[in-house]
Amino acid sequence: MHTAFLTLLSHYRRHPGQLAMLLLGLWVASALWSGVEAINASARDSYARAESLFTSGLDGLQRADGQPLTRDDFLRLRRAGVPVSPLLEGRLEAPDGTRLTVIGIDPLTLPGDSAFASTDNQADNRATLANFVTPPWQTRLSPDTLGAFGLDLRNATGATPPLADGQRLPALSLSPALPPDTLVMDIAAAAELLGSGDTLTRLVAKAGQLDEAPPGLALTRADTQLSPGQLTESFHLNLTAMAMLALVVGLFIVQAALGLALEQRLALLRTLRALGVSGWALVGLLALELLVLGVLGALAGIASGAWLAQRLLPDVAATLGSLYGAGVSSDLRLPWHYWLGGLGVTLGGLLLAGSGVLWRAARLSVLGLGQAQTWRTGFHRQLRLMALGGGVAALAALALWGWLARQPAGEGLMAGFGMVGFVLLASALWLPPLLAALLAWLSARLRRYALAHWALADLQLQLPRLSLAMMALLVALSANLGVSSMVGGFRLTFLDWLDQRLVADLYLQPPVERTEEIHAWLTERPEVAELLPTRRREATLVATGVTTGAAAESPPEETSLDRPVVLYGITPGVRLMPSWPLLDTLEGRDAAWAGLAAGEVFINEQLAIAEGLAPGATVTLAVPGQRETRRVLAIYPDYGNPRGEVLMATPRLAKTFHAPPRSVGIVLAEGVSSEALGRALNARFAQGSDALQDQRSVKRLATTIFERTFTITRALTALTLMVAALALLASLLAQARERRRHLAPLWALGVPRRRLLWVSLAQLGGLALVTGLLAVPLGIAITAGLVGVINVAAFGWRLPLHIFPGEVALTVTTAVGVALLAALLPALRLWRASPRALLAEETPA
Amino acid sequence: MTHLRRLQRATGLAMAIALCLGLAACERTPAPSSAPQGFAGLGAEGDGFAQAGPNQRLRFPEDHGPHPDTRIEWWYLTANLEDDEGQPLGLQWTLFRQALMPPTERPEPATWSADQVWMAHMAVSRGDTHRVAERFARGHSARVDGQAGAQAAPFRAWLDDWELSSRRSATHDESFGHLALSSFAPHEQGTFGFQLALDAEGPLVLHGESGFSQKAADGQGSMYYSQPFWRVSGDVTLDGETRRVTGRAWLDREWSSQLLGPDQRGWDWFSLHLADGHKLMAFQLRGGGEGGGDYRSGTWISPDGETRALAEDELALSALGESRVAGRDVPTRWRLEVPHAGLDVEVSAPYAERWMPTSVGYWEGEVVVHESDSGERVGEGYLEMTGY
Repeated sequence: MHTAFLTLLSHYRRHPGQLAMLLLGLWVASALWSGVEAINASARDSYARAESLFTSGLDGLQRADGQPLTRDDFLRLRRAGVPVSPLLEGRLEAPDGTRLTVIGIDPLTLPGDSAFASTDNQADNRATLANFVTPPWQTRLSPDTLGAFGLDLRNATGATPPLADGQRLPALSLSPALPPDTLVMDIAAAAELLGSGDTLTRLVAKAGQLDEAPPGLALTRADTQLSPGQLTESFHLNLTAMAMLALVVGLFIVQAALGLALEQRLALLRTLRALGVSGWALVGLLALELLVLGVLGALAGIASGAWLAQRLLPDVAATLGSLYGAGVSSDLRLPWHYWLGGLGVTLGGLLLAGSGVLWRAARLSVLGLGQAQTWRTGFHRQLRLMALGGGVAALAALALWGWLARQPAGEGLMAGFGMVGFVLLASALWLPPLLAALLAWLSARLRRYALAHWALADLQLQLPRLSLAMMALLVALSANLGVSSMVGGFRLTFLDWLDQRLVADLYLQPPVERTEEIHAWLTERPEVAELLPTRRREATLVATGVTTGAAAESPPEETSLDRPVVLYGITPGVRLMPSWPLLDTLEGRDAAWAGLAAGEVFINEQLAIAEGLAPGATVTLAVPGQRETRRVLAIYPDYGNPRGEVLMATPRLAKTFHAPPRSVGIVLAEGVSSEALGRALNARFAQGSDALQDQRSVKRLATTIFERTFTITRALTALTLMVAALALLASLLAQARERRRHLAPLWALGVPRRRLLWVSLAQLGGLALVTGLLAVPLGIAITAGLVGVINVAAFGWRLPLHIFPGEVALTVTTAVGVALLAALLPALRLWRASPRALLAEETPA
Repeated sequence: MTHLRRLQRATGLAMAIALCLGLAACERTPAPSSAPQGFAGLGAEGDGFAQAGPNQRLRFPEDHGPHPDTRIEWWYLTANLEDDEGQPLGLQWTLFRQALMPPTERPEPATWSADQVWMAHMAVSRGDTHRVAERFARGHSARVDGQAGAQAAPFRAWLDDWELSSRRSATHDESFGHLALSSFAPHEQGTFGFQLALDAEGPLVLHGESGFSQKAADGQGSMYYSQPFWRVSGDVTLDGETRRVTGRAWLDREWSSQLLGPDQRGWDWFSLHLADGHKLMAFQLRGGGEGGGDYRSGTWISPDGETRALAEDELALSALGESRVAGRDVPTRWRLEVPHAGLDVEVSAPYAERWMPTSVGYWEGEVVVHESDSGERVGEGYLEMTGY
């Protein structure tokens, strides 16, 4: 048995290329898969850390009028027996630019485990608490935040690193349970760092402890907060789908290599059988071989996957942070099951890819005359099966599409992915029958051109080997085209939208208490053409109503809800109104803007899709002590915002819902420089430089975030394409020897070598061209699925479908280029080989 | 501006809670130091703090207020009550102050800065029922508007809405003689708490040497006085049900920078109201006596407030029986003798389940006093036992 196993393996000693190809396939497949899974696992760990805080969740209190709470509010409530704890939250910047969340707490009143308690060593606890609440205080942070300060674990504890503004943090103390980029310290220390004086961010109470908000305050229940895990689910699903694709493409390579290795060992296998090795033992040995190769490839793949993830994770973390506000550590944290899972998936995939080989080995007849011809008859049956399977997949895709069309917009993320998956599968399965039919048809047409006829017939013979590689190429190409069209389309739309939304030249974020004063001063300035103040407030959408029919008198049908939304106030001035994009209005743009100024509302696309609202519907909005119903006059795009938003005119929002002021947009008069106004503002109000931002920097910031968002997507699709190219190359290399055997007689018959070379290139280039051309409509279909279904379900907004001819041309060129490159190497060998050697190869060994 | 908003959006409540988990999770490492510090760190050295000493004179009303230069201090009230149906009830209300640093190291009194930590305990007990609540607050000794604090005149000691304060506006000592006590806390079984009026029927009692109460043979101790003559009436709420009550209360005031010797493990402390009008304060500190034995002391108080400090050999205490409470063996039956007063009594807790499951746990509950010979009931009071 031992000898039999070694004999089987000896095949790879004679054909190290095949072994390399097998391992390469396994390696890239599992590297991409486990890389993405590592990113997901790491992000989930970060969410878990953030959510474990949620689960013991605290209710929050803020002032109903939007003014900041102060220590006096805290004392007043405590003296009235309301068990609240003060919380101060702010942002600070690390020297490397990382934005850190600073949370100042009062451990003495914070609900939950008392800081005094929880261990038996009371003297120790007291010392800990005393160190925490007294100068020079302590900074609690997770070890993965250390990187922002250029520290590592060894020198972290007790260090007092500086911040970007030169202030120093209190001595660090590690606390692995904290989310990344979060600093927790005593409220006194935080107040000093943030310069927050008497104010605090909110008061917190144990969840459910308060039956209602105390007078003048607004209560936010812990359970109405969206957890980062929920928000980012769709993002991770995207990544997983991409990784799945890479895995499948990688396994194509493996399948091809295994098939070849078996083919070439048929004689050997027969000999072994004839020598008395039983059929089952042979299958067992082959399975063992698979296992050994699988473990080797998977281990290499998982290790490279972790490395890949480490490279991509900072971008993922930045994306998630900017898209969802979800803190994700940029350090990789992998649980044990990640390693096991990666191994399992790779081995499972390998077994799937190898099952055909094992099946055939098991049915091997000792006396059979295994030749390529039997393969070919088999291939015809295979083509029929493929066509049939493709039909089933296409029907499944159609069924899903039909189902999705009847769903309310924004539903069915999984179904959307499923549909795209089935479309890909159907196309991939249909490709070989299609190519075979095309070759047969062409071959009938070109009967009179001997060489062309031969080339087509030869291609037909090659097709069984090439079809898998071509399928992989098709899938990779169309996925690549789909994703890059989606990203490109999003980019166009997004940049347009930014231009339309950012109409002011400067944006000022004044401190709340000085807003009036600064506003008055700005109004007086000659440099200022128009002021666009904004306001913002959290509210609850408690009901929506749809007016049935034209009769506006009939009471609308109400639906009760409890959905947190943002009320956002803008100033519908001459500068803003013409450019602010609207997707849909009730009675035209002008009427909509007039209505907004008169107190009605616009809603963002996210909210419209989520609640199924159209212009003309009514929304009932509630803030503590206030409940108002308004009519929706228009829907506007709000890309990248994960939340529902209701737009009102700023003065109306201030009056009706007492929303606190936010930033002020400043439109400058002709020919005025923003620097001059900035200086004057600074001199008059001693504003910090970061309170004033010009439009360009805002745009730059937004664009940077956008670019980072898609870095990973781009990286993954490019890698997938590379894997597909590798698959094609591997298949061609594997059969190079055999190809030469086929070409040698032609040469002997007098066809010049140059001509033979061209024929070879034309054969493959033509095949790839057809595949590439097929990938174009498929890619567009995928783009449509992505922007029309998946994007809406995942993010809540729809994108217009953009087709980029450049991308299409690039896709087709890539296909042909990859094929030519892959064909060139064997062709060059042919070019160099002498006719004699070729003819010698023809004689059976 | 959506993007800016998004960037600026804080991660929210999640983080808030992170904190307390963080604190609880990361502080499990035991301290390397194994130097004895007595019960609850009360034996830690008081370097830099004002020390209690035999030559300090107590001054009222000033000394009803806080002494932030010392390390620890408390306002400690216990009451033996009876409801309309004659059912006994007990209650405890305590405000503790602990200085975070010696006076010389105090931070500036900025908004949230703290040099004191305040802790309050309250308990109501009736039969087998024993309800306990605990609260904390930070404070700065230079600010009088804190979440917790104490002031001498008009007297007031509070943490949140838990408050013991004068019912008189008079700024004189008189203001301490008529107090109101109010404290309520939520509980699964219903709110519990009390709203009581306290009227002193006798003078303040200074323990030890005019108020300096030695706590170990080597001389350290605390400033310690009591008001044992409270007559109490009011309402007690238990499991959401309110009862009219009357009875007697005892208030201890004590402050120190090193209450215990480093080798003292805990104490057993008695405050007894005897039927003939006498009161007895007696305690023993386990360890730290002559030759490592226990240290005993007490005060025998006549009905008109005359005191006699009891020296070690004038007071005998011995445990007669233990009860299993909260996983510990706690002596809930004692024999107590004051030979010169002809007192030989058995002090026992009718209900042993009076463990205070607070951050620093201890036993605190009502006791009844029976004459050792006749078995006749001759009084009631409170017993506190720490370090078990």
